[in-house]
Amino acid sequence: ADMRSRAEVDATLQTAKLNPEELLPTVHCLSFGPQAGGGECCLLQLEPGLCAELEAGHSLVIRGEKDEHAVLCSKDKTYDMKIADTSNMLLFVPGCKTPEELNTDPVSCNIIHSQIAGFSHNYWELRRCRPKLKKLRKLLLEDPYDGPDSQKDETSTFSKYTTEDLLSVIQASEEEILHQLQVIDACKIEGYWRILDFDYEMKLLNHVTQLIDSESWPLSKVPLCACLEELGSLEPREMIEHILVSYGRKYVDAGEVFFEMREDKICRAIGQMLLQNAVKFNLSEFEEVWQQSVPEGMTTRLDQLQGLALVDKSSRPETIFLLKVEDLPEDNQERFNSLFGIREKWTEVDITPYIQDLCAEKQTVGALLTKYARSSMLNGVKVYNSRRPVS
Amino acid sequence: SGGTGALAQWVLVELQGEVEPRQSGTLAGSLLGDLHYTCEGVPVLIVGHHILYGKVVQLEKPFAVLVKRGGAPQPSSSGPHGHYTVTALIKTKLLFKTRPKPIITHVPKKV
Repeated sequence: ADMRSRAEVDATLQTAKLNPEELLPTVHCLSFGPQAGGGECCLLQLEPGLCAELEAGHSLVIRGEKDEHAVLCSKDKTYDMKIADTSNMLLFVPGCKTPEELNTDPVSCNIIHSQIAGFSHNYWELRRCRPKLKKLRKLLLEDPYDGPDSQKDETSTFSKYTTEDLLSVIQASEEEILHQLQVIDACKIEGYWRILDFDYEMKLLNHVTQLIDSESWPLSKVPLCACLEELGSLEPREMIEHILVSYGRKYVDAGEVFFEMREDKICRAIGQMLLQNAVKFNLSEFEEVWQQSVPEGMTTRLDQLQGLALVDKSSRPETIFLLKVEDLPEDNQERFNSLFGIREKWTEVDITPYIQDLCAEKQTVGALLTKYARSSMLNGVKVYNSRRPVS
Repeated sequence: SGGTGALAQWVLVELQGEVEPRQSGTLAGSLLGDLHYTCEGVPVLIVGHHILYGKVVQLEKPFAVLVKRGGAPQPSSSGPHGHYTVTALIKTKLLFKTRPKPIITHVPKKV
């Protein structure tokens, strides 16, 4: 393509009746580059912080399978992506200087030929969202680890996932994924992330609690070395340490590693173990058996079962049944539909453990209830029910 | 990904309506126009027979320019799929919103 000359530019200025003395000396002659119409470039509007991350050399990754809405992940955050249309034409121009730049750093020549790299009528908009982590647990539960004596690992045809594998299929940032792996007590076995089979996990926990009891160790000071020594013949040492890490708080005292056992978590797990065995239980019978089943020195409380079990106060006698929040849908509307399908009217106290995880940054449970539920009074108590007609 | 080295800084030029090639065919390779700035820093764009006056806007939310590896990123309802490279950042735009002033080259004399 012929490049415009300064003479041609000046002639155009004259025809346009613009006074060159009122203009900065440098002109940009804009033309469309060879790739301009190809549509290979697109624009992404950056939320605060992302620009700085890019300039620092960090990556942003777009994640999503064909059937999922794509999300953008920075190192530690996840964003929904949405197309924003504009009626205007947006041209992206490399090497185009602003008046400020021209004034502070004047170019020697007075003509710059700038090629427009691309143009668009739309751009991607970002909105911070909750990382989509339900899939993580689902994938790891495809093949839970049930010990070295497991019959199945030889013939297992299920996928096992490394960190890299998870990064490529989970719509969340790396930090969010690693944090969630910790929350769900996943562990790395032979380079793969695994969740323990619940029965195996309880077997391991039982070894530890029995040992604590027989050695009369205080629950707040369980020595790692002694555990590994005593139990190392029964189970792999990594598994013993893993169960201590999952159910205790690690600390060092006089150079030795100890664990302060977590009463609430242990009671909760034993509660789950008991509740799994039937559809529902007589509440007072359950509470009695439960207290008897936990280690000496631990006290059971119903609030330890938040998000795990639900008490039915309307039945006579009162009953309790297993309801795990992690088994419920991840999408807000679907979650509420599911909860209202289980029970028509909920008090805020009962429903909170089952919707807490839906709260976006700075969003409250109250705000969620206002949006997705309708409130009314029942026997002097405020209850929430579905906004939709119940079929 | 962000890539190594400093990211290029590009500028966004925002125009109302469409830009069509003078001759039929693709836009690639064809001229758009001359971009001047007044001494006060007002951008002036001469496109065809029109003068457009605009303003320099510092973007509150900068843009990243993404280039898809191996093919065009078709924005579909389910989102862009594939690998992208951040080619440049855009922190400034030249916004031309005023109605274009036509350049009158010949004024017929009144008889």
